[in-house]
Amino acid sequence: MKRNLLWIGLAALLIPVLLRFFWFYPGIISRPEIATPEYQSLTIPRPTMQTQTVAQPDVSSVGGVVLVDYFHANQFQPTEVQSLREAVEQRGGQLETLIDSSSLLAKLKYADSLLIISPSAAYTSDEIRAVTSFIERGGRLAVFTDATRGLMQVDFFSGAILNTPDINVVNPLLANYGISINNDYLYNIVENEGNFRNVFFENFGKAELTFGLKQVAFYGTHSIESESGQVLLLGADQTFSSVTDAHNPAEGGAAMSQNGNVVAFGDFTFMTSPYSTVADNGILITNIADFLLGSEIKPSLAAFPYVFSQPDLHVYPGSEIQLTPELVGAFAKLQTFLHAVDVNMLIATKEPTDGDKLILSTFSLTEDVVPFVEPFHLKLDEESKFVEVPGYGNVARGGNGIILFESGKKGNTIVLLTETETELITLLDAISGGNLGSCVLQGEIGICSIGSSSSTSEETGETSTGSTPEGESTGTPEATPTPVATASG
Amino acid sequence: MNLSSLKWEQIRTWLLWLVFPLLTGVLIASFIPRPVIGLIRLEDAIYNFTARDMIKQIVYAYDHPEVRAVVLAINSPGGTVVDTEAVYMELARLRTKKPVVTVINGMAASGGYYLSANSDYIYAKPTSLVGNVGVIGYLPQTPLILEEVISTGPYKLWGSARDVEMRQIDMIKLGFFQAVTLGRGDRLKMESELLLTGQIWPGTEALRYGLIDDLGTETDAFAKAAELARVEHYKTGDLYNLSALESSSSTFFLQSPEGITLPYPNKPGIYLLYIPELPTQ
Repeated sequence: MKRNLLWIGLAALLIPVLLRFFWFYPGIISRPEIATPEYQSLTIPRPTMQTQTVAQPDVSSVGGVVLVDYFHANQFQPTEVQSLREAVEQRGGQLETLIDSSSLLAKLKYADSLLIISPSAAYTSDEIRAVTSFIERGGRLAVFTDATRGLMQVDFFSGAILNTPDINVVNPLLANYGISINNDYLYNIVENEGNFRNVFFENFGKAELTFGLKQVAFYGTHSIESESGQVLLLGADQTFSSVTDAHNPAEGGAAMSQNGNVVAFGDFTFMTSPYSTVADNGILITNIADFLLGSEIKPSLAAFPYVFSQPDLHVYPGSEIQLTPELVGAFAKLQTFLHAVDVNMLIATKEPTDGDKLILSTFSLTEDVVPFVEPFHLKLDEESKFVEVPGYGNVARGGNGIILFESGKKGNTIVLLTETETELITLLDAISGGNLGSCVLQGEIGICSIGSSSSTSEETGETSTGSTPEGESTGTPEATPTPVATASG
Repeated sequence: MNLSSLKWEQIRTWLLWLVFPLLTGVLIASFIPRPVIGLIRLEDAIYNFTARDMIKQIVYAYDHPEVRAVVLAINSPGGTVVDTEAVYMELARLRTKKPVVTVINGMAASGGYYLSANSDYIYAKPTSLVGNVGVIGYLPQTPLILEEVISTGPYKLWGSARDVEMRQIDMIKLGFFQAVTLGRGDRLKMESELLLTGQIWPGTEALRYGLIDDLGTETDAFAKAAELARVEHYKTGDLYNLSALESSSSTFFLQSPEGITLPYPNKPGIYLLYIPELPTQ
């Protein structure tokens, strides 16, 4: 009996407890293991390979001038091109910075290549024309854009951010060469250089620019495509454009024009420290230096006075030309002008054979001058009042000067021909102004107006009409005779 | 023994062996607490103040046995890395004992989703914004010297080199990625490449991709939490009140001169933060 009561008592004690417990907690909870990231195993990703320095002890010195555009609100600092500058200087070349439009037009006459980095201000039609002409002559153009360097301005009134990507500025320049840069950036989530927007390129187009490359890393690059040329740097299948979120095998990080003289890159950061030493970026930079100095630009009359390849210019008046005071005065003016463009003028008493030459003669050619004129196939008839010039037809002898230009391996030659010695001085004065603006230039022959044919022909051989420097008048020396001309008369 | 004394003896026996134990049992049973499903709300960015408050509530839930599960109601664009990680780690500790169910209200973006991923079940509204897995940061200045500031090294002033900062951001991203993949496990139905694009999805898409478990409300979240905790007839309790937190706050977001709160943090740094698109033209 007592045992039964004990059970009843125990049950009475437990039932309310169990009832309440199971009322609230009907089941048994078992917690799974909670996995969290292994933070201690996470490390800062570093570049997989580095070319700290690209030793090139056997690099040949080719020389040359690379112009660097710095007046189109270019989004870079001069120190950022240090690695390229070193590579160019190692090859005997030099970088010259352009700070205004006039220096662009002037310096393109002698430069080997033009370097444009992330510009924000538009190119004028004159500038585009000058660059196009430069490339047609064999000059080279390298354009660097950068997806991280577009100009951003905040509208004062609305607070809106106005974005001016550099591609808007360079695409008109590149359009003639079948290259277009997209307003996007390339990214790769799967394999990248420390960040999704830092992409590797491991497939390359065949060109000297890609010689020796196995892997290149770009840091925020636009994609570039080319209709007529070729894409040089091609990304992996997981390299996507930010605009399409898809891979386009026709787009890459750089492209070259069909003629091989124009190259465009979607990134500039890869050339700056410390990224210039990542992967094969250093090799690419040296290849770019080779490209910039590798132009086969042909000197032309249009590039005067930057047409001389030697430090000395030998000026040879034909044997019939007398060194009159007027001519000496013209030579002095020419010498001063040439000094300004780093050319040393030397008077030659015999016809020079080597080096750069300036030959002066009247249309009455002497034997010593004939070899310089023959290659141009002029028909000089003493009886005629005209000279037959290939490409021009009959050119009046009086009042016109003819400039002939020949480029050679041993030096370049300019020949000045006029009817009289007085006109020769006038022509010499004109070119000493550095401007052939009143001359018609066609290939390697130029015709310059230096006076009126009627008045000049009347005075041929007897007197001297006015000589007016090219830059100062419209070519009517009779109307404004100079003291030099008066004196000789 | 007369009849009356016999009856009394019986009554006394029943009182002793039935009523008294029963009353004692009832008394003891009354000490069995009614289960509480705690609620923690996050309706701001994750920064030092909000993180501190959340951690206090999480610790309260951990320490108090009657709190059998926690519902995390989130409407946050994320915040600082370190504060997000701090809350994340406290949540992980809590989850070893008690289930946590997240309900996404407005958005659980970036750091907000980082925390959400560390829960047993995730609800969202059909148009809640979910995801934005990734890290965002402002690179420090290029080292420079100032006349009036003397320091002992090139990075004393700015903390680290720009390149190191850039790479550090990617390292933090890996931690975030691991947190999501570990938290979601087999339920995640998207490629890592897509996840790491940093996209933000509406709730319906997030459900399709396995970023969340179901569409639902806070009521659903409480029910689910109770189910996971194996409790019934529970009561809900706001852990902010239960843990006796006092109101404290500071400004995380930048304020315009006109007093408008902008979506950008008020100081540079690295963030697990969703920042709406810039008004570019």
